[in-house]
Amino acid sequence: MHTPRARLAGELVFTLLLVGFSLFMLWQAYRISQFESLTSAGAFPMFATAVMLIAGLVIAGQTVRARPVPAQPDESLARQFVRQITPFVVVAFTLAIVVYMLLLDVLGFLTASYLFLVVSMWLLGGRRIVLNLVVSALSLAAIYLVFQTVFSVVLPKGSLIQGWLA
Amino acid sequence: MNEALSFFFMSWIDPKLLFLTAAGTFAGIYIGAIPGLSVTMAVSILISFTFKWNVNDALALISGIFLGGVYGGSRSAILLNIPGAPSAIATGLDGYPLAKRGEAGAAIGLTTVVSVFGGFIGILALAIAAPAVASLALKFAPRDYLMLAIWGILLVGSLSGGSLAKGIFAGALGVLIGSVGLDPMTAEPRFTFGSLQMTAGISYVAAMIGFFGVAEVLAQLHELKLKAVKQDVSKILPSWKLLRKYLPLATRTSAIGVVVGALPGAGGDIAALMAYDHAKRSVKNPSRPFGEGAYEGLVAPESANNAAVGGAYIPMLTLGIPGDAVTAVIIGAMYIHGLKPGPMLMVETPHLFWFQVGALTLANFFLLFFGLTGIKMFAKIVETPKPILLPLILVLSSVGAYAISNNPVDVYWMLGFGVVGYFLKMYGFQVGPVILGMILGPLMDKSYRQAMISAEGNIARFAGEFFTSPLSFIILLALTLTIMSQTRWWQRLRGRA
Repeated sequence: MHTPRARLAGELVFTLLLVGFSLFMLWQAYRISQFESLTSAGAFPMFATAVMLIAGLVIAGQTVRARPVPAQPDESLARQFVRQITPFVVVAFTLAIVVYMLLLDVLGFLTASYLFLVVSMWLLGGRRIVLNLVVSALSLAAIYLVFQTVFSVVLPKGSLIQGWLA
Repeated sequence: MNEALSFFFMSWIDPKLLFLTAAGTFAGIYIGAIPGLSVTMAVSILISFTFKWNVNDALALISGIFLGGVYGGSRSAILLNIPGAPSAIATGLDGYPLAKRGEAGAAIGLTTVVSVFGGFIGILALAIAAPAVASLALKFAPRDYLMLAIWGILLVGSLSGGSLAKGIFAGALGVLIGSVGLDPMTAEPRFTFGSLQMTAGISYVAAMIGFFGVAEVLAQLHELKLKAVKQDVSKILPSWKLLRKYLPLATRTSAIGVVVGALPGAGGDIAALMAYDHAKRSVKNPSRPFGEGAYEGLVAPESANNAAVGGAYIPMLTLGIPGDAVTAVIIGAMYIHGLKPGPMLMVETPHLFWFQVGALTLANFFLLFFGLTGIKMFAKIVETPKPILLPLILVLSSVGAYAISNNPVDVYWMLGFGVVGYFLKMYGFQVGPVILGMILGPLMDKSYRQAMISAEGNIARFAGEFFTSPLSFIILLALTLTIMSQTRWWQRLRGRA
């Protein structure tokens, strides 16, 4: 038998966001071909988004009824959210990924990935810098060999590097 | 008969074909095991440089990659809880808890043996029952495909063990994401928001890497300080007693794998999930509770997904209909080589059929050998400290997403799905149904519209056909039972019994 989960910080807001998103997408699905016919391009997407909306409302009801996870003494909801869902390391690593993806286009795969690996290994607590440098270089070489040589995948060269070469 | 046998053993005695089958199986295992690298992708890339080869060489290599890849997905599911392929989603449910206990070696050993067993059942079915199963699949109407797809998604939802509503929401979200782009029937834009980029749709591979790769990496950041479990990989070969115990279950789930694999559109992923569900319902006293490292939870999906390979070849070779994404690509490869998979293939080129059966059998033997070796090296991955492992998985995932179409946009999608997947995971949603919804959504849409058109847009007639056709009625009953078994009312009823 399914036992209801305890409610985590921010869960109700997240669930309501899902309900809002479902409603918006249902509206978008309706706009594809409105109620033109039962076999129109928008018919099945409307069905899918309506299912999302109904399921979302049921989940919201379940979330409201669930008992919240007990907070630590004197802990605000915002702090509880940070502790349970978005601790510093998650936010910092996500930002590192965003920067990495932006750098991929500029610096190319090898340079951007090397920088990302070294920085994020340090960020996640790998304090042996030399080990990080060596492991990053060796694993990148292996990835490059497999993808570029064996699978002929064209890896991003980067606008900056291409600019220098040209 | 002698001719058939000579074609069957062709790949066994020709050194080049023997080598290509072995190389394909070996590569397939590692391609399947590396998160972000899919067998579909590998086969598609392979086609680009095998189209000048002899057709037998290409088929031998592809057979090995396919069989090895379906099995390989289980390794990363067990060791990292990231299924290397959709067919390994169910494997991680019990495989990963086993690895967390340090029993990865035993889990991989058992997985290998039952995969090979399932593989043989699938090949046997391909060789013996191909015409019969193919004729049954021919009788399926579009409404049956629609119900099968809904059934598949619901099964993934029911595996979560949590809220049914969350499973349904995730599945419907997947269907929605899968419908982004131009409508395949009318070319009308759907959810493109005026963007040209969106008209091509969203790659399910990017979503899969995002939901299973990036979201998993982010979730694991919560356990950075946990020491990696030392894996015991000294004892890999499962005992004869253990195998004998699981033989009846593996036989049943292999049969499920063959039948599901033979159904067009439903491949190893659905087969594995249905087999897992079957094990959950039929095994009264599992070695441990399901979801906490039950051996039955490995035996069922792994025998089924490899049996589904043989099953998927049945409609592919006899009807020219792909059983799943990989066989769809293989059909493309066969066309490139001037072959026309379909009913005439068996009549005009029966040697090719027997060659294919022989190559798959050989690949299955290689699978047993490669599957039971080299585990120590692979298990080292889990013992790698997380500060090193997690950034590496992220880079590998980015390369995988980029390789789909050499487009950085796929990498952005991957990150977006990764972040959404992280929140979904944190709040108790399963991401498996999202992926399955994305893959099956287009099939459901098409099947629904075909069924509605055949009912001339009349809802009453559309609904009535589910009851008047015996085949549809049986599937409808199975679907209804699956939904009912998730309700509290049913569980209360069972509790009383």
